[in-house]
Amino acid sequence: MKKRLIFAMLAVVMICSFTGCASNKAAQDESVTLTIMGKQTDLQKSYMTSIFDRYQKITGNKLDIIAYEDSEYERAAADAFEKGKGSDIFLHFHNADLNRFRVSDNFYYLNDQDWADELTDSAKAYCMDKDGNLLGLPFWENSVSGCYYNKTLLNSLGLKPASTQAEFDMLCQALADTGYTPICWPANGCSWMVQFGLDPIFADDPKLLDNINNNEISYSDIPAVKDMVQWISDAADKGWFGEKYLETGWDQISSEMASGQAVMTFIWDTWFYTDFEKGNKYTVDDFALMPVFLNTVENGTYEGGNLNMMMVNKNSDKLDIALDFLEFCASEENYNIAFDGISTVNCFKGQNTNIQSEMVTDAQKSIKANERVSTAASRIVGYSAEDMVDALNMMLRKKISVDQCVKLMDEKRIAEIKSNGASND
Amino acid sequence: MKKWIGRMALLFLICIIGIAAALIGTIYFHFISQRIYEDSTNHLEEIYDQVNYSFGAFVEKNWGLLESWGSYMSLADDEQSDRVHDLIAKEQKYWGFSDFYFVSSGNGCISLEGIDENIDMGEEWKNLTEKREPVMAGETLSSGKEVTVFAAPVPKGEYKGFSYDALAICYTNADMASSLNVNAFSGNAKCFIVHNDGKILLSTQTGGNVYDNYLVYLKAASDISDSSIAKIQKDWSEGKSGLLYCRIGEVDYSILYQPVGYQDYILLSAVPQSVVSAGFLSVQKTTTNVMIVLSMLIGAAVIVLLVMRYRKMSLKSRTELQYRERMFDVLSSSVDDIFIMLDAEKHSVDYISPNIERLIGIPAEQAHKDIRVLLNCVVNSDIVIPDSVLEAIPLQGNISRECEYVHQSTGERRGYRMTVYHMSIQDVRKYIFVMSDRTMELQMNKQLKEALTAARTANEAKSNFLSNMSHDIRTPMNAIVGFSMLLEKDADDPDKVRKYTRKITASSHHLLSLINDVLDMSKIESGKTSLNVERFSIPELLDELGIILMPQAKAKTQELRIHVQGVAHEQVIGDKLRLNQILINLLSNAVKYTQDNGKIDFTISELPQSTQQYATFCFTVKDNGIGMSEEFQRQVFSPFSREINSVTNKIQGTGLGMAITKNLVDLMGGIINVESCPGKGSTFTVELTFAVPDEEENELWYHKKITNILVADDDEEICIDIQELMKDSGVGVYYATNGAAAVDMAVSAHNKNEDFDVILLDLKMPGMDGIQTAYKLREKLGGGVPILVLTSYDWSDIENEARKAGINAFMPKPFFVSTFWQTLEPLFSEITVRDNEGEDIGEKVMAGRLFLVAEDNEMNAEILTEVLAIEDVKCELASNGVEAVKMFEASEPGYYDMILMDVQMPVMNGYEATKKIRASSHPEAATIPIVAMTANTFAEDVRNAMDSGMNGHLAKPIDMDAVRETVIRLLGPSAPSTNK
Repeated sequence: MKKRLIFAMLAVVMICSFTGCASNKAAQDESVTLTIMGKQTDLQKSYMTSIFDRYQKITGNKLDIIAYEDSEYERAAADAFEKGKGSDIFLHFHNADLNRFRVSDNFYYLNDQDWADELTDSAKAYCMDKDGNLLGLPFWENSVSGCYYNKTLLNSLGLKPASTQAEFDMLCQALADTGYTPICWPANGCSWMVQFGLDPIFADDPKLLDNINNNEISYSDIPAVKDMVQWISDAADKGWFGEKYLETGWDQISSEMASGQAVMTFIWDTWFYTDFEKGNKYTVDDFALMPVFLNTVENGTYEGGNLNMMMVNKNSDKLDIALDFLEFCASEENYNIAFDGISTVNCFKGQNTNIQSEMVTDAQKSIKANERVSTAASRIVGYSAEDMVDALNMMLRKKISVDQCVKLMDEKRIAEIKSNGASND
Repeated sequence: MKKWIGRMALLFLICIIGIAAALIGTIYFHFISQRIYEDSTNHLEEIYDQVNYSFGAFVEKNWGLLESWGSYMSLADDEQSDRVHDLIAKEQKYWGFSDFYFVSSGNGCISLEGIDENIDMGEEWKNLTEKREPVMAGETLSSGKEVTVFAAPVPKGEYKGFSYDALAICYTNADMASSLNVNAFSGNAKCFIVHNDGKILLSTQTGGNVYDNYLVYLKAASDISDSSIAKIQKDWSEGKSGLLYCRIGEVDYSILYQPVGYQDYILLSAVPQSVVSAGFLSVQKTTTNVMIVLSMLIGAAVIVLLVMRYRKMSLKSRTELQYRERMFDVLSSSVDDIFIMLDAEKHSVDYISPNIERLIGIPAEQAHKDIRVLLNCVVNSDIVIPDSVLEAIPLQGNISRECEYVHQSTGERRGYRMTVYHMSIQDVRKYIFVMSDRTMELQMNKQLKEALTAARTANEAKSNFLSNMSHDIRTPMNAIVGFSMLLEKDADDPDKVRKYTRKITASSHHLLSLINDVLDMSKIESGKTSLNVERFSIPELLDELGIILMPQAKAKTQELRIHVQGVAHEQVIGDKLRLNQILINLLSNAVKYTQDNGKIDFTISELPQSTQQYATFCFTVKDNGIGMSEEFQRQVFSPFSREINSVTNKIQGTGLGMAITKNLVDLMGGIINVESCPGKGSTFTVELTFAVPDEEENELWYHKKITNILVADDDEEICIDIQELMKDSGVGVYYATNGAAAVDMAVSAHNKNEDFDVILLDLKMPGMDGIQTAYKLREKLGGGVPILVLTSYDWSDIENEARKAGINAFMPKPFFVSTFWQTLEPLFSEITVRDNEGEDIGEKVMAGRLFLVAEDNEMNAEILTEVLAIEDVKCELASNGVEAVKMFEASEPGYYDMILMDVQMPVMNGYEATKKIRASSHPEAATIPIVAMTANTFAEDVRNAMDSGMNGHLAKPIDMDAVRETVIRLLGPSAPSTNK
């Protein structure tokens, strides 16, 4: 740590000894060192190391990578910024944990940067706060979560995907009538499905998010939450999740989907490239994407990816060089090199070296209309996907009612806040 | 069996009715279902005929509209585009289509606003653009909205610079459904316009459509076979209509299809059968429900009627049963027969009559719990009927046993005749025990037997009595007659005369006692005996008994001892005469049946008082004589009974004494018991209760200044007893247990000038006896203090010596206060001790008296006159009452000393005569002593005599001692000089 500090100070002294220190050319001539703070695992991603290496190679500037253990990251980083020792570049997801870094005091709003318009709408939306301030440059694997369905199977059954909640219900029943499991619902240990339903509630009405984070309301006060829970309960009762959904976990999703046992599931596109079993009856080409329908929004919803952002310390004395670093990363050439061969949905409009699934591409029109940024899981203080599913599973096991389930979700959320000492102010 | 057959027949009938009802219901239901099916099918076809017609009309209408608008628009130039816009907007509002497009065969489509829209219409595009035919197609607009497009070729025109040759309007599915009026099934019907390959052109489902090819879906999701699918496809390709049924998922559907009439489009509807038949099913359901309800109501009514009838019958039966049970309970309670019903298998009690507690002393509940409790009451356990015997009783058969039970509370034995019936009641075997009470019958038999025995015994006794009497009467009579003859023969020989007369007298006395006993017994048995209640003294009674019996005992050298224990009441009220008779009988028997030198103890004790007004005394006569056998003890009180053995045969007796005694004790309300052992003696115990006279305050002792007495007796208990008896008198009793000590105490008191007022000495004391002690006392004290001797012996032999020793008087033992006082009173009254001439006075007490004797029987009169003459008494005779009265009234006062009045006399009896005399004016009418002299000797005779005014009663034959005693009592002894 001391070595880093000394190195950083020397770098500052060296930078200050030169004139016109903000220009790239100057940088090429006079090496500047930027500090980048992030989680160790995040910083080890190939596209990260690629862009870091390329920057240092091209600009001659140095990057001091301050990597923390994942478990220590939030606390250590917050402590550093609290003490005015924050790095020039700071890597963080746009989630509830970001609140502790006093964003407005420490970070530079990036709306005025040229590269801002190069961002895809969803990526840009993810990186903005509720007031429209662009907090960082998304530089991460992106994905689209939605309802992935077996289009081949659907066609063979004379059915077509749903575009509304009513149609989705109709489709589930029609599939159930054919003997297929309409939805693969991995209740055992998988916890992401619920947040897809909650996203539209809080994303479409940011005030609700503020209110629930301010303890002014609870889930029970939001009818749409109960609507969602009720729908899940009804769907299970109607057999839309199959018979053994409570035992179905992560490991079974692939087999159920690839075998055609289940027709639809709520997941993200990159899953098909990382976890979907190959060599089964159905391949990734047999699948297509439609919105997730959890009875919270009529036309369904997609959840955009959770992206790591590169944020700039507004209090840094190398603010311009830091902004230049972001501009370097947002360069079409640079990010295409960095994400070459990476399976991801585009964060940049000009991104073309990455691998983007046809499913997402085909559903682009629908995604554009119905995508929400990941809101529930990342923005609701105390939100625990596991807690939510625990409560749901108790209800699905008929141990508690729908109302009791919603109440339990709230209780678990409050308990989570208390146990973490997190503030939702 | 009949009941079983009846029940089976009823059950069979119910089953037949049930099966028939179910069959009819099923047939009816099937018929109704069939009718409903046909009706609903017809209904469905009618509806979709209408829909099809509407759809055709709708299509034609739209195409017509497009063609008409096209004609109009062909005349409009560019400047009139606003008018076109307004027209279409107006038409849109009117007809309800969602969009309007200008279509160009080469350039696509634009909206009224001039915005491009991608409408390809698939195969229909060619028909429209090339064949110039109106078309209809399903389309998804760029907005994502799914619509049905109707397009028709029109004359070429231009709108906002867009050249068009066709027009198109679009309807959303909802609008189409509304237009086609296919909401007849409340939105539950899926209605499609499909191509003949199944591809859906138009869907009228509410909420959207997810079916792409319904034929494919049917094949995948329904139970329709491939051949049926092929037939459908064939029908469609040939433009045929059809109706089929299938099951999709859990729902049964009616699938109806019919060609639209336009191109190869098919109107396809899938309606849940429950929806199709909803109305009919509702009717069916209602009808069925009504039938069920009606059936239930009828059934319920029948059941209610049956239940009511059953309850009524049951109630009636129960009531009758209760009545019967109640009657049976009352009946069994009021009779002495016990009824028990047992279950033959379990031996549990089904019924037990409540009178069992009264008759056997076991509560019915207890017997109900365990019938074996009755076994504890059985006297003769050998009559208990074992289970094997019970089991052996044939059905409808019975067995009987005689048995005897002991009442558990009272110990009373009751005899029963127990009959056990083995019965089958409602196919359950029962034992019914009827225990008929025969106690009365048995008792009556026993009593009859006893009475018969008693009668026989009495008869035998009377025979024996007559035999005895014959012997006993003849024996003294024989002696009297015999010695009378000898008397006449030997009249000159004074010695023989005296000898014969003594024997005649003895025989006469025996004969008289025999007659008295017989008469007494007869009187008592006839219930004519009554008690003569008067105040008498127990000591006097004992004194008299002693006087009578001591000589008898002495004659047999027997020791007769009289004991008194705790007699607190010396004066009592009762029939002294009868008590005397009882005790004399017992004591004389004791003397009679006790051998010479035997011992007889007579004890009188007073039992604890239960009330102050009465005192109960126990008189015990115990001897060590010949005793009685146990058998004779049982009839010792029966009349005419005498134990016959070698000893008794030698003893004279009538066999009536103890019977008279027993009857007298009974008459006096007492108890007599006997304990005896042959050869060892007998003990007779009599308990009698007498009234106690009111206590009179006895201040005599105080007035006579008797405050301290000294008693000397070697038996300390006697001393203490005297102390106790004198306790209430206020007199201090000091005692010494020998003569010397008594002398010391007397001298000591004398020296203190506190002499004892009286000294009472036992005659026989170790050391100095009573007389010696008296000598000593007189020597030391002088003659001032009265000295009395207390003795249980006849003191006549020692009286002279005692007098010499200074003894003032004798007192018999036991000590009685009253006797003590009576002994002392003359001493303190300064009456001088009578001299030795007393015996002579007794002989002369009547000398010189003149008696008026009223006696009708001359012989008796003569005897009396002669006998009284011996006493120097003169008699004047009256032969009847009238004469006696006259003679008395005619006499001078003091002429007659006494009147002896026979009772039974002619003309006037003695009672009447006495009353006349008492009522006469003679100066001595009230005072002249009149004594009855009669053979009527019973108590009531004595009382009648007294009631008539007589002063005394003498029984015939005349006993001179009695006459003498009576005369002395009434007149006192005659003065020596008196001589009338």
